Amino acid sequence: MTSPSDIAAMPPADNARPDGGDGEQPEPFGLGSSPLRTDALPKALGIYPYASDLWAEGLLWGAVLRAPHPHARILSVDTSAALALPGVRAVVTADDLPAGPDGGHDGAPHGPVVADRPILAAGVVRHHGEPVAAVAAEHPDTARLAAALIVVEYELLEPVTDPEQSFTAPPLHPDGNLFRHLPLRTGDPEAVGEVVVEGLYQVGRQDPAPLGAEAGLAVPRPDGGVELHLSSTDPHGDRDRTAACLGLEPDRVRLVVTGVPGATADREDLSFQVTLALLALRTGRPVKMTLTREESFHTHTTRHPALLRYRHHADAEGRLVKVEAQILLDGGAYADVSAEALAAATAFSVGPYVCPNVFVDAWAVRTNNPPAGRMRGEGALQTCFAYESQLDQLAVRLGLDPVEIRRRNALATGDSMPTGQAVTCPAPVTALLDAVASEPLPALPVDDPDADWLLPGGPGGAGDPASVRRGIGYAVGMVHMLGAEGEDEVSTATVRVSGDHATVICAAVDSGQGFATLARQIVQSVLGVSEVYIAPVDSDQSIAGPSARGRHTWVSGGAVERAALMVRHQLLQPIAANFGMSVELLSIADGKITSYDGVLGMPVGEALEGKELWATAQCRPHPTEPLDEAGQGDAFVSIAFCAMRAVVDVDIELGAVRVVDVTVAQDVGRALNPRQIEDRIEAGVAQGVGLALLEDLRTEGGLLVNPSLTGYRLPTALDTPEVRIAALLEERDVVATFGAKAVSAAPAVVAPAAVAAAVRAATGLPVGRLPIRAEDAVSA
Amino acid sequence: MLPASLDEAVEALAATPAAVPVAGATDLMEAVNAGRLRPAALIGLGRITELRGWRYEDGGTAVLGAGLTHARMDRPDFAALIPALADAARTAGPPQVRNVGTLGGNIATAAPAGDTLPVLAALEATATLARPGATREVPVSHLLTGLDPLRPGELLTWVRVPLLHAPQVFLKATGRSGPARATASVAVVLDPARRAVRCAVGAVAPVPLRPLEAETWVASCIDWDGSREIDPAATAAFGEYVAAACVPDSYAAEGPWEAVTEGPTAAAVRLRRTVSVLARRALGRALK
Ligand SMILES: Cc1cc2nc3c(=O)[nH]c(=O)nc-3n(C[C@H](O)[C@H](O)[C@H](O)COP(=O)(O)OP(=O)(O)OC[C@H]3O[C@@H](n4cnc5c(N)ncnc54)[C@H](O)[C@@H]3O)c2cc1C
Repeated sequence: MTSPSDIAAMPPADNARPDGGDGEQPEPFGLGSSPLRTDALPKALGIYPYASDLWAEGLLWGAVLRAPHPHARILSVDTSAALALPGVRAVVTADDLPAGPDGGHDGAPHGPVVADRPILAAGVVRHHGEPVAAVAAEHPDTARLAAALIVVEYELLEPVTDPEQSFTAPPLHPDGNLFRHLPLRTGDPEAVGEVVVEGLYQVGRQDPAPLGAEAGLAVPRPDGGVELHLSSTDPHGDRDRTAACLGLEPDRVRLVVTGVPGATADREDLSFQVTLALLALRTGRPVKMTLTREESFHTHTTRHPALLRYRHHADAEGRLVKVEAQILLDGGAYADVSAEALAAATAFSVGPYVCPNVFVDAWAVRTNNPPAGRMRGEGALQTCFAYESQLDQLAVRLGLDPVEIRRRNALATGDSMPTGQAVTCPAPVTALLDAVASEPLPALPVDDPDADWLLPGGPGGAGDPASVRRGIGYAVGMVHMLGAEGEDEVSTATVRVSGDHATVICAAVDSGQGFATLARQIVQSVLGVSEVYIAPVDSDQSIAGPSARGRHTWVSGGAVERAALMVRHQLLQPIAANFGMSVELLSIADGKITSYDGVLGMPVGEALEGKELWATAQCRPHPTEPLDEAGQGDAFVSIAFCAMRAVVDVDIELGAVRVVDVTVAQDVGRALNPRQIEDRIEAGVAQGVGLALLEDLRTEGGLLVNPSLTGYRLPTALDTPEVRIAALLEERDVVATFGAKAVSAAPAVVAPAAVAAAVRAATGLPVGRLPIRAEDAVSA
Repeated sequence: MLPASLDEAVEALAATPAAVPVAGATDLMEAVNAGRLRPAALIGLGRITELRGWRYEDGGTAVLGAGLTHARMDRPDFAALIPALADAARTAGPPQVRNVGTLGGNIATAAPAGDTLPVLAALEATATLARPGATREVPVSHLLTGLDPLRPGELLTWVRVPLLHAPQVFLKATGRSGPARATASVAVVLDPARRAVRCAVGAVAPVPLRPLEAETWVASCIDWDGSREIDPAATAAFGEYVAAACVPDSYAAEGPWEAVTEGPTAAAVRLRRTVSVLARRALGRALK
């Protein structure tokens, strides 16, 4: 039998690694190399098909009517004027969805964990922009016009918009207002340190703001089912939930994944796709729907705004004695994954540090604000900002260098987290810190007075060198990989070899994270063939689970590897038997099978003798357990760490901040595709810098204030810093596939804290809220 | 419709009053895409080459075509003529937008954060409005305030700007390093012939504001005959003066997403601070 460790006998991992050498380089091949992503060129050329490019003969256009209020009772819905409009083919409301268990129309509630979010509002509206009705018409303008003609009579209700008021407010939903309360208690509550620092921290609402707004096409099937073409990142989950909401068997719904135009979170918006399917079933015609940018901001989930109160006790040397915290996440109107985000926030509330006494209370609550959900490092990001700010405060109080205080407390492999879970994976926290701290600092304007210096405020801006102060800040953070607290993690993949090429069939969606490229590299490494085709994804394939929580490299990569190894065995076994040697003595490279002594050399195509070889395998990491009522338990499969040093220039009169440079050291286990990792780190830093300085989806009384790309400020190239990789630390995680750790979330988690630390250093101001507004950085 | 000459365009507009002129379409298409505008017909101005350049008149005036793009105004030859307008054009959005967005479009849109507007106000520019067989000349500030607005069927053809041959500065505060609309902007121009300083503040009100008293006061602090020196304390006082004049105590940030949670006074204090810094820096640079 082959086992994953046989990968060591495969072609060396460092083949064709692009380390700056120029000249004729062989085509990058296999793990450890950096082949170009297959979708890179089509995307750059604008010929990559996204869901909004879909077309079907005779299609209708869908449009949604959304609630203009954050909290209201629906007294009546009159669709007659809309239906009377020429060209309108169907109008649907909650009454057109299957009835609930008690026979009433409840809008077919759904949710990834708790089914509390209706597809179309039934009786009550709980957030601004909640879908109330939908229309299918011959022309998109007719559909929008008809939606506007639907008359909804509302009785306005007092919105609960302050999460702190949610505890005492009347219930906004039959499930109540508390999504979860998670206490964490470990050690001696009476312990006291020689120095105590306190802080109150606030994190705003970041939106995933995907480049492409939600779009899709639903096509009715002759068997009464429906086929959905969507940029889903969880095809099976989406299929199952869509079927459930429509009262169909799952096999009556087929989900075909189209190009994903950006996903740093879940892309699935169930209300959108169920409504689309419902309209197609109603009219018996294909229906297409593309949301406007404004609707997109209204419909998908955002990052959890957070309020965090911290008290750190330390001894005179700066070692942590006790951490007390209260963490409040605003989950918005519906539960989504708030409970899971809260688990991460609580478990990582102290950060990558050792502390014997930890007392935390964390809550995720319901409000009438936009629903919050999954977004790179949900929960972990908010606490990282708070605990790193606290460490900076301690460093100032004790006169310690910010790097030194972190070194003194750094977590290491074998240490325990406050949840009682021992960190068994590599935890190279000190090495990461040392790596960023020893990188040379970027030049100052005085070093290079002739250079065209980009001042805060940008080119042609109002920046004045005399008022610019430079600040340097450090931060370290942690984030878990894969589902937590007992969630079943599994993925399935099929690998086929025929002729001189291989095919991978795996329903793991490449949401832009690069999984398709990685799958190709894995098969190249295992089977020695360079041509690897990755099949498009649909829900008829075996389940691979969502593209979230940094799981596909591990679970789907693991499944691909196993399937490829099984194929390899099938291929080599007869040859080995023929030559009377063991399979281990044969290797495959460049499409050729060779024996250890070089005697045998046979092209793969010849060995196949015209046959096709198939194998299907699953990967299921070791199980985890839920956190108990004291916040204790082995809740996480593995954890990734990252350290950053941010350098900022602040115009202390205008409060303009420019992030000059972010230097990153990351614990990656093994760099399977170095360039892709660097891309992920740059993306994470850009998103983190966006949250730190610009991105804030604001609400006023529950109403969205800036649902547009003019109002919601995403970082542009000029706002994003130079990102330098000080180190990709490759200490193998023995339980992970290839020993590799997920790379996308950690940089997004740490960057906001690092930028805040740097602004603090430049201005001497406390910087307690993100994004940092201009007035929070004015110190002159 | 794509008229090839100014006369054709003016005729076309008169013949189809419901038609809307379009230059770079950077504002217009935004309104169309958002469903705020459904023009019955469009008259494209892009082919009218005469409107894409400028000429001189009476030695002391530049006559700028409404079709001048921001990118063109940012070029060194133009910047040498009217530096503050070039400064404003340089920061009026990302390159793709500045390559097609025009001076005429910026004026006709009359957005509070339109970057050329405070400069035109400080320069006391006038605009030529054309109908078939007739033109009239209107101060740009009257157009903006609605005192004498663009009438249906009228085309904005030229903008007259005095050539002052002296330093002028436009500065804009935004919340970021990348291209963005101004949260506040200040234009300061020196008019040595008249021994005057003219200043306008943009983005803090629906139209650019002129702090006339502050202008007069600061002009009296400058040594016009010598090296145009000024006491730094006077520059700082000018900043405060301008800010107090242009930002009322009751200022509430009604811009849709600016500081919605703060009370009006705090917003006024913050905005005054920004305007004051901008005005001080702008005057400082102009007198350097
Ligand atoms: C991403 C983006 C960023 C931007 N950033 C900025 C910024 O930072 N600062 C800024 O000031 N602006 C900015 N803008 C706005 C816009 O680019 C400018 O206002 C530009 O000057 C408009 O010119 P245009 O030629 O594109 O106008 P158009 O969109 O073609 O026209 C705008 C309006 O003016 C009318 N019009 C145009 N020409 C004439 C004419 N000759 N006579 C009569 N009416 C006319 C049109 O009918 C229309 O109503 C931005 C726009 C975008 C899309």
